[in-house]
Amino acid sequence: MYLVAIQMLWGDRGKFLGLVLGIGFTAFLITFAMAFFAGFMTRGFALISENPSARIWVMDPAVHGTESTINLPDSALKRVQSVAGVRVALPLALGQVTARFPNGRFQSFQMIGVDSASLAGAPRLQKSRPVILHIPDSAIVDAGGTEGKLSTPLREEDQWPADGAHLEAPSRPLRTGDILLINDIRIRIIGNSHAIPRFPPRPLLYATYETVKHIKSSDPHHLTFVLVTPQPGISPDLLARRITARTGLRARTQAQFKSDTVRWYLINSEDVGDMSAMLVLAMTVGFGVTGIMLYMFTYENLRQYALLKAIGISNHKLLRMIFLQSGGSAILGSGIGIGICALSSQLIHLSGLDYPFRLMWFGPVLALAGVFLISMTAAAISAFPVMRLEPTEVLSRP
Amino acid sequence: MAVHRRHRYNDQPEHDECISFISSRPCLAATLSASPPALACVQITKAYGGGDARVFALRGVDLTVRDGETMMIVGPSGCGKTTLLSVISTLLAPDAGQCRIFGEDILEFSEQEKEHFRLQRIGFVFQSFNLLPALSARENVAIPLLLQGISRAKALDKAKHALSDAGLPAKQHALPGALSGGQKQRIAIARALVHDPQLIICDEPTSALDHRTGQQVMERLQHLVKTFGKTLIIVTHDSRIFEYADRIAHMDDGRILDIQKKGVSKS
Repeated sequence: MYLVAIQMLWGDRGKFLGLVLGIGFTAFLITFAMAFFAGFMTRGFALISENPSARIWVMDPAVHGTESTINLPDSALKRVQSVAGVRVALPLALGQVTARFPNGRFQSFQMIGVDSASLAGAPRLQKSRPVILHIPDSAIVDAGGTEGKLSTPLREEDQWPADGAHLEAPSRPLRTGDILLINDIRIRIIGNSHAIPRFPPRPLLYATYETVKHIKSSDPHHLTFVLVTPQPGISPDLLARRITARTGLRARTQAQFKSDTVRWYLINSEDVGDMSAMLVLAMTVGFGVTGIMLYMFTYENLRQYALLKAIGISNHKLLRMIFLQSGGSAILGSGIGIGICALSSQLIHLSGLDYPFRLMWFGPVLALAGVFLISMTAAAISAFPVMRLEPTEVLSRP
Repeated sequence: MAVHRRHRYNDQPEHDECISFISSRPCLAATLSASPPALACVQITKAYGGGDARVFALRGVDLTVRDGETMMIVGPSGCGKTTLLSVISTLLAPDAGQCRIFGEDILEFSEQEKEHFRLQRIGFVFQSFNLLPALSARENVAIPLLLQGISRAKALDKAKHALSDAGLPAKQHALPGALSGGQKQRIAIARALVHDPQLIICDEPTSALDHRTGQQVMERLQHLVKTFGKTLIIVTHDSRIFEYADRIAHMDDGRILDIQKKGVSKS
């Protein structure tokens, strides 16, 4: 009898196609939005991902992500190093700087100061190795997901002109050997990197911890994070708790810190709020359309259900038929929607476009669960008239 | 307590003692004792609405149908034919009265028992055919068997034979939309008979058909019913098919006025 339910479903091809495509579109919207959200969040914790050897991140107790930070005194590094179980503890400086280009234009950068000795966390360059960061007052520049913000004057006469700024001078991308002026210190660009793009997008400058201290010498503190590698056999989770207990600082494992950062964005970022609003809107519209279409489908088939009731089908079996029809539509529609989204993901990947699109497991799962839940709700609502339906409806009604 | 006078039918044994109260058990027993009927309804009453808007659809209907008999219930629109049919087919519970089908008191049934009873012992033929448009002719015919839990292959096989009996062996895979009204009704007849029910209930089976097609459908129905020894109750106002009835019950205003035997002119 359940096959009859399925046949009833696809019997009206037009309606069935509309229903499945409506559900598919809803699933696609949700999965697509979730993939974008995951992509943005992946960029949001790019700094953490760039330091895979740092199993524990230690920071000021008030810091809950990489986006909003306050620095620690340098002594914190020694305090962390002294905790039993710590194999390596390295400093990482993070801060905003404003750099002036040779023609007078300026641009904000996020400056990342990596450990001067190990250069852990410095990006790899195609033409040279990060070891050249040891050159004093040098930096690696990275677009950080931006476009057209790292340009310097093309012509010699437009660089550091004596007659004022040449803001409209023709420009070219920054390259090795170019100079930026930061806090009146000439910083030499020693390479361009292609690190993970940031969310929100912003240009990046990688330098040694010592260079950062030099550039921002007026700041009382420069140490933003202490990156800890535990001794072999020591659980990062356990060591993080121990560091917190011994130093009073906030110590989080890599995974925990990524989660903290995502949570921070969810709570504090207006961009994420806008994205969430769009997602909620898309879901509401999609779910609404799905629910209404499923309800209409059942409602328009009331006479057929009345016939089955007259013949002798039980309400219980009829309910199962309705839920099967809704569930089947939900699964089929979701499969189409998620499939199209996966195809889009693959196409974006193959095209080499730099979109923050990351199809993670929870996107399709949430889409499927959401659509399935709505379908079941619609089935439950549309089941009411079917349950109340009098089988006498089929008598003497031409 | 109201006393209801029983109508005297020209073919029923008289039971004067049946001038009795609505729920009189001896009355029903007396009705059944003559010969076990397929259907025995006594003083069936049904009203819709409440208060001033209360309308009586059935006002103490008595009806007996013998096993293997074709009984037609006729009358003007709104006289209560369909309500009586709904009660007989267990689709509607009356307000008062007694009703036994093949000896079973259907008014005592639970909803589940009613569903089971309809599924096992009643076949329906409706005015508007009521075929599922997404299903082929054979699948439509197989519905009662599928509902009974019979395997799909077996049900479809039986349906194939039922369609052949109904004179439509070539239309097994046709969808209802591609069939004529007469063909649809013959499929509906096959569906009504496929699960071998004892009682076939037809609601205006020829009203949606032209005269010639109606005759053909009735001939096929009559043939199948007589061949397989079924009891047939037909509600109709189509006088062209009266000739197929063994008896005709005339209804008006919620009452059976008289019952006319085949070949006997209406009294």
